[in-house]
Amino acid sequence: MSPKTLALALAVMACPRIAEAQEPLPPDVIGTAGRVIDVTGAPVARARIGAEGSDIHATTDANGFYTLSAPLGTTLVVEHDGDEMGIATVTGATLDDVVLRPLDQGETIELHGEKPFEAPGAAVMDRAELERVPGTGGDVVQTLRVMPGVTNIEIPIGLNGIPIRGSSPQDSRVLVDGFEIPMLYHGLVYRSVLPAESIASLDYIPGGFGVENGRATSGIVSITTRPGDEKRSVEGELSVLDGGVLAQGSAGKRTTYLVGMRRSTIDLVLPSLMPSDADLSLTTVPYYYDGQLRIDHRLDDHWRLFLSGIGATDTAEIYTTKDTSEATKRLYAHTAFARVTAGANYHEGAWTANVALSGVVTRFDFAQGTGQVLKATLPNVSPRAEVIHTSEKAAGLTNVEIRAGAEAQVGHYSADIATGNEPREGEAPPPYDPHDMSTTYHGEFWVNDVAQWVSVAGNLDPKIRATVGVRSDELARTGEVQVQPRAQLELLVAPKWIVRASSGAYRRPPEYQSELLQARLDSERASQEIVGVQWEPREGTRVQGSAYYTDRTHLITREMDGTLGNEGRGTTVGAELIATHRMGPWFAWLSYTYAHSRRVDHPGDESRLFSYDQPHNLNAAASWKHGRWTLGGRFQLYSGLPYTPVVGSVFDNDRNIYVPMYGETNSARAPMHHQLDLRVDYTWKWGPTLMTAFADVQNVYLNKSPITTAYSFDYTQSTTVSSLPIIPMVGLKGVL
Amino acid sequence: MKALVLLVLVGCTGDLVEPWQLDHDRIVAVRSTPPRIPAGATAQLDVLVATAGADVTTLAPDSTVVVSPPSLASAMNGATVTAPSEETLATARAELGLDPGAPIPLDVELTANGFTATKTVWLGDTATNPSLDGLEIEDGSPGDDLVLPVKTDVRLAVTADDSVDNVTWLTSCGTMHDFDLSRAYLRIEPADPQAGQLVVVYRGAGGGVSWRIWPVRASE
Repeated sequence: MSPKTLALALAVMACPRIAEAQEPLPPDVIGTAGRVIDVTGAPVARARIGAEGSDIHATTDANGFYTLSAPLGTTLVVEHDGDEMGIATVTGATLDDVVLRPLDQGETIELHGEKPFEAPGAAVMDRAELERVPGTGGDVVQTLRVMPGVTNIEIPIGLNGIPIRGSSPQDSRVLVDGFEIPMLYHGLVYRSVLPAESIASLDYIPGGFGVENGRATSGIVSITTRPGDEKRSVEGELSVLDGGVLAQGSAGKRTTYLVGMRRSTIDLVLPSLMPSDADLSLTTVPYYYDGQLRIDHRLDDHWRLFLSGIGATDTAEIYTTKDTSEATKRLYAHTAFARVTAGANYHEGAWTANVALSGVVTRFDFAQGTGQVLKATLPNVSPRAEVIHTSEKAAGLTNVEIRAGAEAQVGHYSADIATGNEPREGEAPPPYDPHDMSTTYHGEFWVNDVAQWVSVAGNLDPKIRATVGVRSDELARTGEVQVQPRAQLELLVAPKWIVRASSGAYRRPPEYQSELLQARLDSERASQEIVGVQWEPREGTRVQGSAYYTDRTHLITREMDGTLGNEGRGTTVGAELIATHRMGPWFAWLSYTYAHSRRVDHPGDESRLFSYDQPHNLNAAASWKHGRWTLGGRFQLYSGLPYTPVVGSVFDNDRNIYVPMYGETNSARAPMHHQLDLRVDYTWKWGPTLMTAFADVQNVYLNKSPITTAYSFDYTQSTTVSSLPIIPMVGLKGVL
Repeated sequence: MKALVLLVLVGCTGDLVEPWQLDHDRIVAVRSTPPRIPAGATAQLDVLVATAGADVTTLAPDSTVVVSPPSLASAMNGATVTAPSEETLATARAELGLDPGAPIPLDVELTANGFTATKTVWLGDTATNPSLDGLEIEDGSPGDDLVLPVKTDVRLAVTADDSVDNVTWLTSCGTMHDFDLSRAYLRIEPADPQAGQLVVVYRGAGGGVSWRIWPVRASE
């Protein structure tokens, strides 16, 4: 008899009351026993075991053992606070160990309201909960839309960033393992290029970030890819949008790996959705790929090395005619990038160092008709190093942290461009004209930038902590030296109450779209003033509020001659509230944002609404987990965005197009939008595979809200393009 | 990719009037005859106007005004453009930063039937409006009156280089496909109006414009 079998037999014998109390069992009901352990092999006490479809249940003892009686084939659901759910099947008198994985081991998403949040201010959510936010299709990056401060847009056409706190998407940076990626979403379906399973943590910092981050005037979204688990596993997921596999495990005692790949599936169904009489030919049905790689190696007790890679590609080719030989009707778009980062982390005593070298290659290829073309290749290499020293006391301060770092980027851009001018923020869209080549460029240039930073943080008093720092960016192409001082104060004003205030200067280099083509364009500037308060009335409940004011200058706007200048100004004022509550099987989320953002394009111009001005944005979500089922709902209510109405048109005979005449910029606003999203997940075990099926349904009560306005060719007629009345998404996931 | 998404969204808005639809109030084309004139010569403007529920008509503009260059504002008088002397043209070239002898774009804004359009007439140069060569409808040279089969893709063609020239086919009878290509096709379903007009407008690369109008009806 093996030790395990012996232990189980003893466990059964130790519970005679159960056997004595039971009625004579039906023929297929047997007494069975098992054990619940964690990933280290330690027993899990007080885990709850329930037999599906019945009231049979048990609880593990201090040694992790349980006994119960149930029909053969019954599925047992094992739950324990802080761990993922486990599943076992009654196959005999003794069952295999059920291993519970902790929710917080490599599965935690930290959502930061203000920086720094290393202390009790951090809002912490686990990744599994974020994946189940209804209406996001399990896409963790999409859950950013529920964050306070993020402009909620139902279908964010063309956006490749996050509009945060009254800023344009390009004013914030999205970092993966510390370095920026050129595309966050697959354009066709607004799906992030990183599947949830490959993400370890996601820090959302809407403002007031420290000197270690730069090149942004609004916020930072910092994603850290996930090291592979030591336990070898393979996961697969398939939905109506895409499908992918992810494998992880260890190679030796010191090395783990994670590799994943995903491909769109929407392209398999898209052709069938096209009307047969439409003058369209999908010669290359829009499709996308993405891939992830992460290798971690623990060199010794002080050094950890990692190598991470991420790449994505989107391709589509359409002819707006049945005749695929007609080049004038061709529309082609291809975007691809690959980033590889190698890094090392050192820690010994008071010293910590992080060094990394990252390289990225980005390729844009666009063609419309026989004239318009955009081909750009942007390779870039970025080294980065940071040293942190901590000490208990220094210069009259306690808990002192000194941080110093530097980074550089060496980029060589080459481009062949002949397209129309892309509309800047606030500019109304130009009429469709495939012959418009207002922006032409053929050439190449270097973009070499260097930055350094230093900061000191320390406690002035046990209840007061201050951080001051300065960052300097030197931009070779623009010839600028940008010095950006930043400071932050944190006060423990009462038990469970923390107040924070921050103030700082921020810069965004001119590198968005055609900004790069003008060598002497200055960086955009912003100064941010933020006050926040955090209250944690009990464990599992947190309420955070903040108010902010941002002043922007040197905003890049279009001049009368069509070139770009730095004459724009803007202000944003806002307040945010976020409350999270987690208790037992329940998780609840409430966020509300008030914001007001205005712009002045040129000196003397009238102030106008910012294009992403969204005064009200409310998100309320809740999920409930019971056995194999997880149910969730999310309600959204948010203001529509401003737009510039068309008031007439003039027929340009030589271009054969109608040129719209617009009213006051952003003088109209789309109506408020509201919708309810629901999600249900069901988990079961299929052989050795843990299966999860989900259905994520957006807009369940069929509220059709306007997204945009479409005009007839001559702008005499218009129609509202509404949201799809209901958007169901189903998927299947298996973990082996 | 943004264009693709917009294409899909706009593709869902089928209740807007199509650009090839003649049964709709609009200016279809503006023609200058000739499109380019030397110093001292004149050209006449006329406008092809579509009206809902009626046939297209060719009209003289109700009003005209020179938008650019300001120094040639007097070149426009009613529907007539008169190119000034070589000396005045030379002054205008300098105003616009053009090379000596270069054609001068005279941008004209006009109104017709309550609509506004712009048209460029080229001064200091010579050209005529293009001819409609190679016209074919249903694989044959069209007559003056068209009778077309229903539930059939009727081929329409004119000789043009689609990468340079601009061809537009319009109709008030049936559904036009590839209306902005030199080779298009028209399909008349029983539910469509069984009579109307067919128009082809040809805009050449040099600014010249030609059009032709046919009455069309579906065969019994």
